[in-house]
Amino acid sequence: MSTTTARKGRSPRRNRHSTALTVAMGLMLLYAFLPLVWLLLASTKDSKSLLSSFGLWFGDGFHLFTNIHDVLTYDDGIYVRWFGNTLLYAVVGAGGAAVIATAGGYALAKYRFRGRNAVFALVLGAITIPGTALAVPTYLLFSKVGLVDSPWAVLLPSMVSPFGLYLMRVYAQDAVPDSVLEAARIDGAGELRTFFTISLRLLGPGFVTVLLFSLVATWNNYFLPLIVLSDPKWFPLTVGLNQWNSFATGAAGSGATTTGFYPLIVTGSVLAIVPLVVAFLFLQRFWQSGLASGSVKQ
Amino acid sequence: MSQHKTQLRRLLATLPAAALVLSLAACGSSGDGGGSKPGDPATALDTPTTLTFWTWAPNMDKAVAGFEKKYPKIKVNVVNAGQSAAEYTKLQTAIKAGSGGPDVAQVEYFALPEFALSKRLVNLDEYGAADLKAKFTAAAWSQVTSNGGVYGIPQDTGPMAMFYNEKVLGEFGIAPPKTWAEFEAAAAKIHQADPNRFITSIDPGDAGGVDSLLWQAGSRPFQQKSATSVGVNLADDGAKKVSEFWSGLLAKKLVDPAPGWTNEWWQSMASGKYAMWIIGAWAPGNLASTIPQTSGQWRAAPIPQWGTGDPVSSENGGSANVVPVTSTHKDAAVAFTKWLNSDPDGTKALSDNGLFPATTDMLKDPAFLDKPIEVLGGQKANQVFAQSSAAVSPNWQFLPYQVYANSVFKDTVGQGIAGNGSISSGMEAWQKRITDFGTQQGFSITAP
Repeated sequence: MSTTTARKGRSPRRNRHSTALTVAMGLMLLYAFLPLVWLLLASTKDSKSLLSSFGLWFGDGFHLFTNIHDVLTYDDGIYVRWFGNTLLYAVVGAGGAAVIATAGGYALAKYRFRGRNAVFALVLGAITIPGTALAVPTYLLFSKVGLVDSPWAVLLPSMVSPFGLYLMRVYAQDAVPDSVLEAARIDGAGELRTFFTISLRLLGPGFVTVLLFSLVATWNNYFLPLIVLSDPKWFPLTVGLNQWNSFATGAAGSGATTTGFYPLIVTGSVLAIVPLVVAFLFLQRFWQSGLASGSVKQ
Repeated sequence: MSQHKTQLRRLLATLPAAALVLSLAACGSSGDGGGSKPGDPATALDTPTTLTFWTWAPNMDKAVAGFEKKYPKIKVNVVNAGQSAAEYTKLQTAIKAGSGGPDVAQVEYFALPEFALSKRLVNLDEYGAADLKAKFTAAAWSQVTSNGGVYGIPQDTGPMAMFYNEKVLGEFGIAPPKTWAEFEAAAAKIHQADPNRFITSIDPGDAGGVDSLLWQAGSRPFQQKSATSVGVNLADDGAKKVSEFWSGLLAKKLVDPAPGWTNEWWQSMASGKYAMWIIGAWAPGNLASTIPQTSGQWRAAPIPQWGTGDPVSSENGGSANVVPVTSTHKDAAVAFTKWLNSDPDGTKALSDNGLFPATTDMLKDPAFLDKPIEVLGGQKANQVFAQSSAAVSPNWQFLPYQVYANSVFKDTVGQGIAGNGSISSGMEAWQKRITDFGTQQGFSITAP
């Protein structure tokens, strides 16, 4: 992240750095990274050293691979299944959300039709309702049509992203100049073709932004799947890991736990964040603005 | 299935705890209290049926396999739908929706009255559950009866015991305390020798743990007088005794006010920072699996006493199996629940699975009583637990909205434990929150 200070003429940029700011940023960095460091180190420990060694250094022995093996094989590899479920929900749900939000936002921004403002006001209102509040009504709705305890019960609500729609409308307003659309229409392109070949490219950065937001939201979604799913074979990682956690923390007040669950939870959490990190690293290069500059003379 | 639309309180639904109580919020139309008439269990067990059983106890399929072998026409689908509050949220929504719920579910004793009162559960009295009463300990049975009905079959219990680390007590030259006064003296001795170590910890977020202490001290803070009236008194003699005693310990820094079950807490348990853990009889399994390095150092003894007469104990945790009114195979579900929790094969399978028994037969079984427990250094500790179970003081009750009450414990009593005010003022605050909420829900509350 480069901060461009106002440059006068062509004088070289001076590196002015403030010790206080650097220290403050360093502290923030520590604050953000320490838990992650703890998690990574903890995933290399077995139950015994996890509960006896210092948190921010290695314990005795390096058990990461044993732990990973344990995570992947516990309960006939249920973790792998949860992982697959989460991927499915995140990719299909977030992909769907991004596509629908992009198309909807574009339509709201670029077409004039009756009720447009009413629709937009409705969307703005929808943003203010937390998803958690809708989980129970959603369950009741789905149970009437027989969709509970199936992946659809998670996928369908995940594809609805009012915030994404709002973001895309605001973004499309400026990113797709009206003159470009007019030029396309004069050249004889249909609306759909214009959308897919021209507008979509201009909307790329916004699309990726919404995709990333929805990806993280679906990946971390907890309450909705908790309510609508009861069969562990459809659980996403969040609900599955929490189930392991309650085994470890004896939420049930029974001694029927048979495994040392802590290393499983820690290692399972490490594995669970890897795809998100990858997604961020991969998608951030699409995060550039200014794609539309130079397409028309203003 | 009622098509009756009740007004969903959106605000309430944002909180799982509140979502649970939605049921109580004047929606008396869902569930008809088990309208179908009981049929013949023998016929039901001979009809091909698939039952869904929600439980979070691991290895339950092993226990269920015995049942399926005996009744091959019935298939039981074991589903871990989440644990405790996570399951209740789901169970309430499913029963409310009229479908998607299980035929049999595991519910902890403290949450059972809530489900029973809101007509969510089949009254097993109609299915002749009264015949089973003699098979269970009095404490377990009293926890499944609510307002004159029987709403569950006890599955496991948690009579209180004191698990002390023999090595640590030996270091300080302390004998296991038999009374709370000795307990305090031992705590002071440890603190004098090493201010960074404690006799035990107390969890500011664990309502169940404090409930067990109140119960043992003779306090009866929660009374369900009828379907609509509730008594709350968190300042009775027993409660005063417990509040003052623990406030005193905390003020002198003789016990550590630390959340339990965390990584840090287990570290303290493993390192000898805590000398003991006063908790339900199910704990050895957790000690063995979480801190194996301390295996053999622990011993079990009766919970410290207030008086000098007969020992008095209480319960911590434990659950029952219930049949929701939405089950479409109630006869088979009841038959399965009875078998699993009272047939000798069923109870043995549960016990092998680490669940502490609720049946008197099992608690008298020599094979069970004489079993050496490795984590307790080979001690035949089940004898200690069985005595504790027999000494549980009667007539304890939970609120018909205990799940909510427990959820605000850490903001009230927990504050007192953590050092913001005293436990007594925390109890007052808890009393107020419980009273306000109950009044909102339409209960008439009698307070002292």
